[in-house]
Amino acid sequence: MAGSAAEDFDLLMRGHVPALYRAAYRWTGDVHQAEDLVQEALTKLFPQLAQLRQIEQIRPWATRVMYRIFVDNLRRMRRSPVSYIGDEEIDAEDPTWDPEALAEQALDRDRIAAVWPRLQEQHRVVLSLHEIEGYSLEEVAAMVEVPLGTAKSRLNRARNRLRELLTEGTKTIPEPCRSSGSLVSNERGR
Amino acid sequence: MVDDFEKLREGLRAMPVPEPRSGFVDRALAQATASAVAVAPRREPRGLRAVLARPLIWGAAAAGALAASLVWFIVMAVRFDVPTEPSLQLALHESREISLVIDSERALEGATIRLYATGSIALVGYEDQAEITWMASLNQGANLLSLPVVAREAGNGSIVAEIEHEGKTRRVNVLMQVRG
Repeated sequence: MAGSAAEDFDLLMRGHVPALYRAAYRWTGDVHQAEDLVQEALTKLFPQLAQLRQIEQIRPWATRVMYRIFVDNLRRMRRSPVSYIGDEEIDAEDPTWDPEALAEQALDRDRIAAVWPRLQEQHRVVLSLHEIEGYSLEEVAAMVEVPLGTAKSRLNRARNRLRELLTEGTKTIPEPCRSSGSLVSNERGR
Repeated sequence: MVDDFEKLREGLRAMPVPEPRSGFVDRALAQATASAVAVAPRREPRGLRAVLARPLIWGAAAAGALAASLVWFIVMAVRFDVPTEPSLQLALHESREISLVIDSERALEGATIRLYATGSIALVGYEDQAEITWMASLNQGANLLSLPVVAREAGNGSIVAEIEHEGKTRRVNVLMQVRG
């Protein structure tokens, strides 16, 4: 019985795990955390095997379960007495700096990847689900359990913030060094 | 309205996602089903197991007779939010060992470690110094930093740990309150 349930679960979920992992990675920005998140989601899903068998669209459902865990983990971390002050990355001067190429550079996937971690978690989630994975806004709203209007405005803010971050990266020539006093005034894009 | 986000969307979709570790899917499914009768697994800060298996411990100062307690785990990759209220309370003159886990995505040779003790808190053995700096190499994964601290006066204080490597700096602040 247990073996059969495990086999069924494997059969139902195996094909979705890579997609769940990719979503988790985009949310967390870290391979290990993404793996942990998927692991937790699967562990939570297995006891719900009977429901899983009835569901036509397993992936959105599993994503919603994973999202809840993600949010819970974030809340737990923010209750921690440990506070994060700054994450200042000092860019090396780019010898190939070319102002005329800035527009193209801004759209380069590597530049997006570079600013991605600076987006708020909620913005990463909504961009990941809607823009990358192609879920409709209605589906996203259901997954993250907010009204449709909230999902829309969150998506707009996420898009705008992404644009801002990319623009910031292109209009300021990186300084080779900065004064030590700048660490605390970290921009977090709140 | 023309979708002016299309080019960015292309960039987003092309954004690389590293592969999970080898065998992850098999492992994750097996673990999920193996824990069928168990409650949801305890969320361990990543790296804890790695620390226990492969400890790299910097004894910032001799722990001596301090009651060691692993108070916090810090995963440097995680972005913590704005500072919270002080929530670790110490009695006046109490000594306690705080352990921080610094999780590094790769091995870092010659990282600079700085510790700042502020307010009511001092580092044991360095009570007269507000700042301690030294060089160390970090292993890939979890690295444990043990910090014996002492509450030297009533009020708020903090220990700030700063890791610098090749121009990149990460900093965490551990807030404490000393009861009078």
